Amino acid sequence: MLELAIGIILGCCALGAGMAMIAGIGPGIGEGNAVARACEAIGRQPEAKGSITSTLFIGCAIAETTGLYALVIAILLIFVAPNRLVDILMSTIG
Amino acid sequence: MCKRCNILKKIDKTVIVETKFIGAWMLIFSALMQAVFLIIGKWDYTVLLGNLLSGVAGIISFFVLGLTIVKAVSSGDAEYAKKFMSASTAGRTFFLFIVALLGVLLPCFNTIATLIPIIFPRLGLLIRSFMVKRMDKNSKSGDNGEVDKVE
Repeated sequence: MLELAIGIILGCCALGAGMAMIAGIGPGIGEGNAVARACEAIGRQPEAKGSITSTLFIGCAIAETTGLYALVIAILLIFVAPNRLVDILMSTIG
Repeated sequence: MCKRCNILKKIDKTVIVETKFIGAWMLIFSALMQAVFLIIGKWDYTVLLGNLLSGVAGIISFFVLGLTIVKAVSSGDAEYAKKFMSASTAGRTFFLFIVALLGVLLPCFNTIATLIPIIFPRLGLLIRSFMVKRMDKNSKSGDNGEVDKVE
């Protein structure tokens, strides 16, 4: 029974980490679209290249934040959470 | 002129300025984190090493992001820029994953002190974006004031 409980904990942590990394797909697509639009904008207004690049810089980095949060949460779920949860389970059982 | 100066000259000025800004914020946030670890009594050399590892990795990732944006934008081809940017994002995320993995698996790095500084550059940029917005607002209100005076 204990093995089953530990297996469920490990499985749920792995599933959670995988689901968290779905958030990593968004920044890649979003940043790609933003840069493509920036290219078009610079093509229309070459004199605004500096301001477009600096705005894009901030925008891309902020867009990437979601992916990094997801990455950190996934790593915590894989490496840190299982040990803590198993410890809690063991202390509860006694 | 030295080789290093030539390389720095080739890099876009915006990238260098933003990276310096992020480096400064990284130092501030890292000092705050170290202070928190000291206050709660959990500071040891692993905290410092973890902070150094992920701090340097965060700044490198940000610098590469800047270089990627400049290269993608200067290419002029929207489709190429889109693919290049997506590939770079995947590569940088993988790099940060490896760094975080090292921080978690190696005993010489504190796990929490390695994971937290990865998001410090983004926190710095959030502050930067708020500052830019406020400056824009101030300059706009300043412009309106001048217009009112003229009227």
